[in-house]
Amino acid sequence: MSFEAGWYAVAIAEGLEPGTSAGTRLFDKEIVVWRDQDGASHAWEDRCPHRGMRLSFGFVRGNHIACLYHGWQYDTAGQCRYIPAHPNLEVPDTIKVVTYPSAEAGGLVWIWSEMTAEAPVPPPEDFAARPVRSLYVERSPEIVAAILDEGIAGPFEILSPVSFATAIEGATLRLELQPFTAERTALHIVQTDGEPDAAEIAMWSEELRAVLEAVPPSALTPEAHLARAMR
Amino acid sequence: MVFHGVFAPESFAEFMRHRAARLSIAARPRRLEDARIEVEVEGDADLVDMFEMACSLGPLDCLVLDVERVGSEPGSRR
Repeated sequence: MSFEAGWYAVAIAEGLEPGTSAGTRLFDKEIVVWRDQDGASHAWEDRCPHRGMRLSFGFVRGNHIACLYHGWQYDTAGQCRYIPAHPNLEVPDTIKVVTYPSAEAGGLVWIWSEMTAEAPVPPPEDFAARPVRSLYVERSPEIVAAILDEGIAGPFEILSPVSFATAIEGATLRLELQPFTAERTALHIVQTDGEPDAAEIAMWSEELRAVLEAVPPSALTPEAHLARAMR
Repeated sequence: MVFHGVFAPESFAEFMRHRAARLSIAARPRRLEDARIEVEVEGDADLVDMFEMACSLGPLDCLVLDVERVGSEPGSRR
């Protein structure tokens, strides 16, 4: 299977505190996700237009993010507003970071997978959810999705090609798949129902990761699929 | 502005075009050779300084050994 352009969860919203930044990847594209002091989250290309330094290494100052390298500061629209070496310079509009459309829903930060001013479809609607954790799996997104689709790692309801739900330890969990790189996948897990049992869910998460990384390719062939269907 | 060094002229010209566009200044190539690049630059003095600094690093396939300015005017450098 291949994944299409769309909205993808890239972080647990609660984990991105005001005044902090974090680097992530979507389809191997490097992205900085940061939250300003007013509480709004932003997702941009993780690259300062000046020297290419990752902005995720930078510092959030109020509602600006400053590059670690030379301190160039960008406002929430990605526009450079201040260059320390040229404090009196009126910064031209062309010095701007490429941004991604982003939104928050269900306790997750979502971004549209293409660099564009506006996403062609609205972001996911908000839903009640409690954050659980993010899992980073050393397996391709296609294989992780196939394992979840096939029920090899347990029974999952398929909500979309990148969204899954399951009931575990008295709780209903929703898993959002983030194609990180060709060989790495993130799963962002939130709890949508039931009482939390953090220890049980943590153990289940680790077991899930172990299964996702251990399932042999032979278990995903059409023949293996047929054999499972006939059981 | 004159750059001396070892150039892939087309690569350096594209690099100059991209940096000039980002800095909102005018950069008109006048001579593109393997060892010498001449470009007429016009814009805010600070931005022209930034352009020079960016181009002195240049693209991977070029090596700038020296930069020379001729006919510079305050606020509108060349």
